[in-house]
This record gives sequence, structure tokens and C-alpha cells, in this order.
Amino acid sequence: MRKLWSEFNLPTKISVTWVSIILFLVITGSFLPLPNPTEYDPNASGVGLFSPGHILGTDINGYDLLSNVVNGARISILIALISVGVGGLIGSAIGIGSAYIRGKLDITVNLLFNILLSIPNLVLGLALVAILATSADPSTPIDPNRRVFIIIFSLTVVIIPILGRIARGATLSWVNREFIVAARSMGMKDRHIIFKHIVPNVLPAIYAVIFLAIGVVIVAEGALSLLGVGIIDGVSWGAMIGRVAGDFTYAPQSMYVPVVVLALTVIAFNQIGDHLRSQLDSREGKI
Amino acid sequence: MTNHAHLRKDSDVLLRVEDLVVEFKVPGNKVVNAVSSVSFDVKEGETLAVVGESGCGKTTLGKALLQIQKPKSGTVRFEGNELTSLSKSDLRSARTSIQMIFQDPISSLDPRMTVRQIVDEPLWIWSKGDENERVEKVKTLLNNVGLDPELVLDRMSYEFSGGQCQRISIARSLALEPKMLICDEPVSALDVSIQAQILNLLNDMKDRYGLTLIFISHDLSVVKAISTRIMVMYLGKVCEIGPTESVYSKPAHHYTAALISSVPIPDPTHRAQRTPIVGEPPSPVDPPSGCRFRTRCPAATELCATEEPMLRLAADGHYVACHHPRA
Amino acid sequence: MSSILKLENLRVRFSTHRGQLEAVRGVDLDIQAGTSIGIVGESGSGKTVMSRAAMGLLTGSNVTRDGRISFDGKVLSDMSREEVRNEFGTGMAMIFQDPMTALNPVRRIGSQLQESLRVRLGMSRKESRARSIELLTLVRIPEPKQMLRKFPSQLSGGMRQRIMIAIAISCNPKLLFADEPTTALDVTVQAQILELLTDLRQRLNMTMVLVTHDLGVVAGNTDYVAVMYAGEIVEQAPTTELFANMKMPYTEALFKSIPNIQMKAGSRLPVIEGRLPDPTDRPLGCGFAARCSYAQEKCFAEHPELEEAKDGHLYRCWFPLGDSIPRKVS
Repeated sequence: MRKLWSEFNLPTKISVTWVSIILFLVITGSFLPLPNPTEYDPNASGVGLFSPGHILGTDINGYDLLSNVVNGARISILIALISVGVGGLIGSAIGIGSAYIRGKLDITVNLLFNILLSIPNLVLGLALVAILATSADPSTPIDPNRRVFIIIFSLTVVIIPILGRIARGATLSWVNREFIVAARSMGMKDRHIIFKHIVPNVLPAIYAVIFLAIGVVIVAEGALSLLGVGIIDGVSWGAMIGRVAGDFTYAPQSMYVPVVVLALTVIAFNQIGDHLRSQLDSREGKI
Repeated sequence: MTNHAHLRKDSDVLLRVEDLVVEFKVPGNKVVNAVSSVSFDVKEGETLAVVGESGCGKTTLGKALLQIQKPKSGTVRFEGNELTSLSKSDLRSARTSIQMIFQDPISSLDPRMTVRQIVDEPLWIWSKGDENERVEKVKTLLNNVGLDPELVLDRMSYEFSGGQCQRISIARSLALEPKMLICDEPVSALDVSIQAQILNLLNDMKDRYGLTLIFISHDLSVVKAISTRIMVMYLGKVCEIGPTESVYSKPAHHYTAALISSVPIPDPTHRAQRTPIVGEPPSPVDPPSGCRFRTRCPAATELCATEEPMLRLAADGHYVACHHPRA
Repeated sequence: MSSILKLENLRVRFSTHRGQLEAVRGVDLDIQAGTSIGIVGESGSGKTVMSRAAMGLLTGSNVTRDGRISFDGKVLSDMSREEVRNEFGTGMAMIFQDPMTALNPVRRIGSQLQESLRVRLGMSRKESRARSIELLTLVRIPEPKQMLRKFPSQLSGGMRQRIMIAIAISCNPKLLFADEPTTALDVTVQAQILELLTDLRQRLNMTMVLVTHDLGVVAGNTDYVAVMYAGEIVEQAPTTELFANMKMPYTEALFKSIPNIQMKAGSRLPVIEGRLPDPTDRPLGCGFAARCSYAQEKCFAEHPELEEAKDGHLYRCWFPLGDSIPRKVS
């Protein structure tokens, strides 16, 4: 563990520390002695940073920003981890499978990935949420849980081609290696070839991109909220940003606190992803 | 017309290939005849060398024998099994009697596995014995190929030099005690002083395990050291096949003669005896009519353009596909 | 005869994460104008590094080069990089093992060939085109005019190597370095390219340095041979003398271990056991001692210097072959 840490450069060390703090807050957030994020403080509406009792200040209505950011972390990170996890799993399975089988299936899968990737992430997410999460009758509101589910689903769809393509490309570069041909000539079953030879060699490439994908999803979730189709009930970072858009001039901290936290988190995930990527490149160089 | 004059009727023929055709699609909706109606047989205990320049189809032929590359037509009979028509599961078990060694020793081994895992793999696939028995077997195999098991077992494959990787490959290929080993340019990626080590090792393993070898190579010097019989290919066709000593001393095909005289001889007093042929092999997408070598052949006549030469007897057990064979 | 390239105590070191790696350890070599010399060795022997260093092609912060290199009377190692480049452009030329990486894949053969003529020799467009066609004819390319319009990817390996040779000789170099020029080629094409090189060398009065691992290539195409092992020249002689009278056990062992088309079919090859010494940790004595079947105690303890037998036959061995000194075979 200590050896791993010593191999990181300074930006990576900072990023790992930041991500660890965020993950710590995600897990322990509800047990920390913080003001209730859903109760407003009538004596302190729109106070700035380092106000007594409100370290990061409050928004125009007196909601504590620190407790909201901590609470929002849970939803934002959870959405990111679930959609990247599920999307990554499905995408990698499709990518590895189609590259291994080749032929018409692979051509079709590649075409589909390319079509999905040609649509900007946000537009794709927006379209999916708009189609799935609006009710025909405007008077009956959408169930908020269903809405969260649909947002996760939409972001998963965004992730599938990103990771699928990486998995497919990596698989193609390994599948023609002679040790695969050797395994086949020894009578190894396809499923064993995939799990014993292809997956372990493709995984490092996927790890590296997963961190970048988490960043993409956090941004996308925030942007969807800002556009009014995200989480409505104001608990994710994106929802915080979206809700206070109008109050910017009165209580600027209610905008920049979640924006800064979101940006730092995305940068940290990207930095870790880049670090893994360059490690992979140098190791692959040796092989 | 059949072109089977050179096939033998003996009972100890282990592999018999008839009229094998392998095609590839290439960009532009064209088809390459990489292997074009090739027939040959291999007897038990022989070492057949398949020789030719790049693009002659020798590597494709090796893969087609194992059905890794599906042939378009033709038959591959091995130990009484017709490999081209076996079901997937029958093919899996039939393949264990034929194993292959490749040119690139590094890419032949999974970089994320230890030597123990690599050599154990075939034993694991076919559940040959329990964990302890398999480890013992792996150690014996490594010993046999000249590696110290205690030193190498738990090291990763990428820590080894090309020659050592090739030894590990050989150990793996012998784990299932195959009858036949197809070696595709096994020494051409290795340093000159290492080549001899691997060639000798292959010969030793041949004796110890009673193997029959098919040795695919472009290097006529290497082939001479290891083979008992030699088959020369040009643009997907067999030019000449026969006992090694006979083919080298009296090449009947003009292409074989050119190949042999093109090999640089490490003897400065030997210069200026060359009869190099002109030009380079034509594209296999659009091969010449008749005899495929006629565009570069010093003895070509009109007949060579119109009629494809069949294999015919040149000397004892030595066959040539040429209208005007060398005397 | 005059000296065209002279290396005096050439040393090249690379600093790597495993420490200092001395790839070339004090090479002295004097190449006479108009001759052809073969540099023979296995990978890791330092033959390629040495030839790159001699051409002034080794640069970079992790490389240190010591020693004196003089080319055609001028001391190359004293020159600035700019001067070396000018000298290199017209005085020396190089052809490589893989012509595909040395040619720009997105430019036509004609423009690549004419570029060096216009930039280095200041020719006009018309002159350079005429000269290009002349050069392509010289390297025996059929239909040279059509060739000018082609891209490298449309050519076979042999044709690409001919183009590389045409580019290399375009500025009338005095010295041509050929680094494994035929290793990637088929055997019939190899024979053609070697014959072409020998013919051009005589016709254009060039000196040629042929770097190769193949003793057969050396035997038929050179006047002198230098055998390298572990960063040093271990034997050097006129080609016929070397093959007739090997002094260094390594040369002999290498010669015997190589499959030879003239030997009997199915003969067993003698092998050189072991491996090259670790370049970051060279042994105290002779670099080959650990693999040598004639090694004595002295070989492990003291480093042999180059000795002259006769007529420029140099060897680096305490107990040279063909000597009457008694030795026990270990």
C-alpha cells in the first residue's frame, strides 16, 4: 500500500486524498454532526463562508450548504458509481464478446457504438430522460424515485458505448496474439479463453477509463439538473446548482460551493484515470 | 485432374492432406488463394519442412491443418480422423494430438501469467491429475526443455529472453504429449547463437516424445539442419517435394535452385557462384496462369503459361511440378 | 589508401533506471577509403550503437559519448551538431533494416527523393526530377517514372529498400552505412539487394560499412570483418583471413553454431551455452570467458587487449586458437 502511494506524483496524491474524503462523506455523511440539510435556519439566510454554525454559509433560504454538499455527495457519487458500474459491465461484456466473435455481430456492434458516441453525452441523456421521465398528464407528477432510476438508466446508456469501445479495441489487440491461438489449439473452451486470457489483459485498460467515465457522469448529472430534467428534490450536487441558478446575485456561495466541489471531484477522478492510463502504457511497453 | 503422384500408400502415414484450398477476402472484394490445392503426407517420425518466401502460404497452411483457419475445401486426415468435418467438441480433443509453436516467442505467452500457470494450462484444461501431480508434470517438462523449475516456476513470462520464452512454449506444447508438432518459424525471431540451441532442443524432444514435426521456415540453412523431407511452396502451390538431401543436392525445380543459390554462404572463397532470379513474387491476388513461377523462371516457355504443371517423379521419392525440370 | 573513418577509443554509455549501461567499450577502428567492412555481432553486442555513434546520430540527455571520431580528415567529435549535420548530409549516408519506418508513408516516392536533392544539393525542380529518375534506374527499378508517383505502402519490401538506397546515394556519399539492410527481406530478394550494393559501391567508389548478424552476408560482400561481442571488437581481419584462420573462440563458436546450407542434412549443431553478460555489470576478465569452452583462470581475472597476429589480424584473447600454448579444455 505504501509502495503504491510512493509511486503517485503530487497531483495524483492530492486527487486520491480528495476522492477518499468524498467517499468518506458518502458513507458517514448522515452520522456527522451537521445541520439537517432539509431544515432551514431562519436566523441565517444567505450568510457567507465561515459564518457561525454554517462553515460554508447558507443559501438564500437559509439551508446549510455544507450539509447539503455532503448529502448531495451521496446521491451524485452513487448515481455515478451505479451507472458507470452497470454501464461498464454491460459495455465491456458487449465489447469483449463482439471483438472475440467478430463477423457481422461485431460490425453491427461497432456501428451502434459509433452512432451512440456521435451523439453528445448530454443530448443523449436529455433525450432519454425527456422520453422516459415525463408523464403524459402534466397534472400527475412523476414519482421522484422513478425519476432517479431513469436518470441512472440514461447515464448507463451513455456509458455503455464509451467503455464498450475501449473493451472492444483492447480485445482486438489481444485476440490475435499467439497465446490465444495456442490456447485454442490446446482445446481450451471459448469461455475459458475469454475469462482466463482476454479479460485479465483487457481489464487494466478498462480501469483507467472507468475513472474518466465517473467524471463524465458527475458532470452529466449536474448538467441535466441545471437543464431542469435532473433530480428534482434538491439533494444531488447538480440539483443544488440547478435550484439556486436564480439566486446567484444574492447568495453567490450557494452557486460556487457545489460547483467547486463538483469540479474538484471531476478533476480528481480524471487525474487518477490519467495516472492509471500512463502506468498502463509504460507497462504495456514492457510487454 | 488429380495431383497426387507424390502421396504415399504406406500404413505409417500420420497426416494426409489432399487438395487443400484456403482463401481470404481482401479489400476490394477480391479473393486471395493463399493455399491453392495443396496435397502432401507426413509419415510418423518424419520432419517435413515447408519452405518458401513470404506470401507463399506456408503459415496459412500450418493454421489450416489445425483448423484454426478454416479451409475452403480439401481434406486433412490425421490418425484416421477427418479434421475438416469434425464437430466442435470432437475437434477440441483431436487437436490435442497436434500442437503448434509460433514465431514470436513473446506473444506466444500470456504476459499476465507465471511460467507455472502457462505450462500447467493444457493440463488444467483436460484435468490431467490433481494439483500436485500437475505441478510435478510441469517441473518435469521444464527440466526437459532445459529450464530450472525452481528458478522459473513463479516468474512472469515477460522476464525471459526470446530463447527462454521459446523453451517455455515448447514445454507447454509437449504437456499433452502430442503426436505432431507444427513449428511456424520457431527460430527466426531469435539471435543466431540461440537458434542452434532451440533446433537441437526440438530434435531432442522429437526423440524423447516420439514426435512428428512439420517445420515451417523461410530459412533454407535452418531447414537443412532439422528436416528429413522438404516441401517447397511458391504462391500457394507445391513446387517440389522430396527427401532433404536429394532436394538440396539436385533441386529439380528452377525456383528451388534459385532459393538454394541465394543463401549467403559463410565462406569468402565461395563467392560469385550465384544464379539469383530476377524480380519479386507477383501478387497472390492475381497469380500468373499456368505455372505460377513462370514470370521469374529462366526456363519458361509458352507451355508454362497455358498448362499448370503436375507433380511428377524426378528421383527416388522426389517429385517436382515443372514442365522443364533441371537435369 | 587513406583512412575515411577513424574511431579512437569510442565509448558510449546510456544511463538507465538500472544504472550505467556501457554499450560500446573502447572501440578502435580505422576504415580505409574504397573498402567494405562488415561489423558482425549478435543483438546486444553494440554493433548498431557503435555505427550510430560513428555517424553522430546518438543524441539525447541519457547518452554520453567519449573518444575521437574522424571522418575524411575532419574530427567529427569536435564539431558542433550543426556541422555534423552538414557533414552527415552529403559525406555519409545510412540505410536501415526496416525501410518502411524510414520512409514517410503519406508522401510520394518522388517528393521524398527530390527533397534531399533540392535541399542538400540546391537543385531546381526540373533537375531534381531528372536526377531522381537517374537514381531509380541506378538501383534497377523498372519503370522509374511511374515509381515517382507511388506511395511507400504500394511497394514490396525489396522495392522500398531500393528506394532507400537511391535516397542514400543521392548526395554522392563517400561512406555508406548499411545496418542489417536485408534482414527483413526474402532470401531471393536479399541476394539481389546485396549484389546491387556491391555493384554500386564499386561503381560510385563508396566505402561501405555493413552491420549484420549474418556471417554468410559478410563472407560474400566485404573486404574486412570486425566481430563485436559485449561492446568490444574481439576479432578483426581481412575477410578471407578471418574465415580461414579464426583466432577468437567466440568467432569460431558463433560460426559453428549457425546453421549452414553446406553441411549435411540433419546434422547436430554445436551451441554456445549461456548468454551475453549483463551490460550494466560487465565481468572483470574476458566478456566471453563464462561461455568459452577453452577458458582458463586468467580469462576470468584479467581483461585481454587486442593483439595483432599478422597482417592486420587482431584478436582479443589470452589463449587464441591455432596457438601452441597448452590449455586444458574445461
